[in-house]
Amino acid sequence: MREDVVRAGGLALAIVYAALIAWVYAQQPPTITHVTGGLASSVGAYRIDSQAFADGLAFFRRNQFVEARAAFGRADPAERDPVTQFYIAYSYYRQGWGRLYNDDPLFAEGLKRVNLAITLSPGGRVVLDDPDLRMHTADELRAELEAGLRRDASDLDPRRLFRERK
Amino acid sequence: MSGAREAVVLPLIFLTVAMFGGVVPGPVLQWTAPSLFSLVLAIMLIAVLVRTGALAPERLMHAGRSTLANANGFVVLVSLFAASAQALHMVTPGSGLPALVVGLIVFLLLLNTLVSSPDRRHVLRSVAVVVGSAFVLKFVVLASLADPQGSRTYRVLVALFDVATLGTISQEPIPAAAGYLAFCLLLLYLAGISALPSRLGAAGRSVVISRSRPRKSRDSPRVTSGSRAEP
Repeated sequence: MREDVVRAGGLALAIVYAALIAWVYAQQPPTITHVTGGLASSVGAYRIDSQAFADGLAFFRRNQFVEARAAFGRADPAERDPVTQFYIAYSYYRQGWGRLYNDDPLFAEGLKRVNLAITLSPGGRVVLDDPDLRMHTADELRAELEAGLRRDASDLDPRRLFRERK
Repeated sequence: MSGAREAVVLPLIFLTVAMFGGVVPGPVLQWTAPSLFSLVLAIMLIAVLVRTGALAPERLMHAGRSTLANANGFVVLVSLFAASAQALHMVTPGSGLPALVVGLIVFLLLLNTLVSSPDRRHVLRSVAVVVGSAFVLKFVVLASLADPQGSRTYRVLVALFDVATLGTISQEPIPAAAGYLAFCLLLLYLAGISALPSRLGAAGRSVVISRSRPRKSRDSPRVTSGSRAEP
């Protein structure tokens, strides 16, 4: 009886360990923090640092985007929270936006982050009712970032000088 | 073999090697899966272990064992395959001529061992020498050639060597922690394969699995002295 318990326990342990290996090789987490955060997230135990998130939001509203991203990075070190990733993407958009031209590297990073936010969100839907934002969904932000990165004839349209940052 | 060793110890050892054998430590962790050639080498290595009696698969999976025991045996075999592939991938240089040469040499050595069928002790020594030599080549010799921290003279000599060999020898720099990690994992792997259920018992006795007579225990094979193993 005792040996059966040991065998069953060992089998369960091996299955869990094998699943962990498959997850790690599929997700390719770049740091140990990402590994632990991903595991915690998979069992619903992941929580962001709310104080750091509040700091990041305050910086974001004061247009201090580099500082905001640093605070958001502290709040969500494992990059598992869709809302935080959405704000990080938005900070890249606002910092990279220009009346004459956009900063492509910042927009590309923003696109990467908003795609991550969509991937992390259940059902791929990220909706925020923050009155400070003019785009409240990740889909709008992604479309805006993609449009900013696109090269076409509309780039030469003089009316773009009168557009506003969202 | 005890149930704990078969169900817990061996799978944990092999799964640990399978998990961390592919990681390249550094500021950004890289998780590399074994190459296709490593899978082929792993199959050959397992064939060598089986043929030489270092691994007796009939002691892991057998019609006379319970379903749970067979499941444990299956996990050992699968994790052994994954660990072997990852260990061989880990000690093979990443690119260029060294990767080709090491892969070819390991392949020929395993083929030679498979044909000559030495006993368990010799095959375990042989595997230790093969993976140990490959480890020294990759993590000591080639890593020192790729070390970016050397003096100016050293780097000039390395650059000249690189030109002379048409860039086929030089490798990407390897983080120092990678060598230590690989060393520990290889020791773990060698300990694991030496703890596998073998055809011969520890005291040189043969293990006979009787299929006709009922046994007292469903999982442990009957052990008799002096007779040859029966698969």
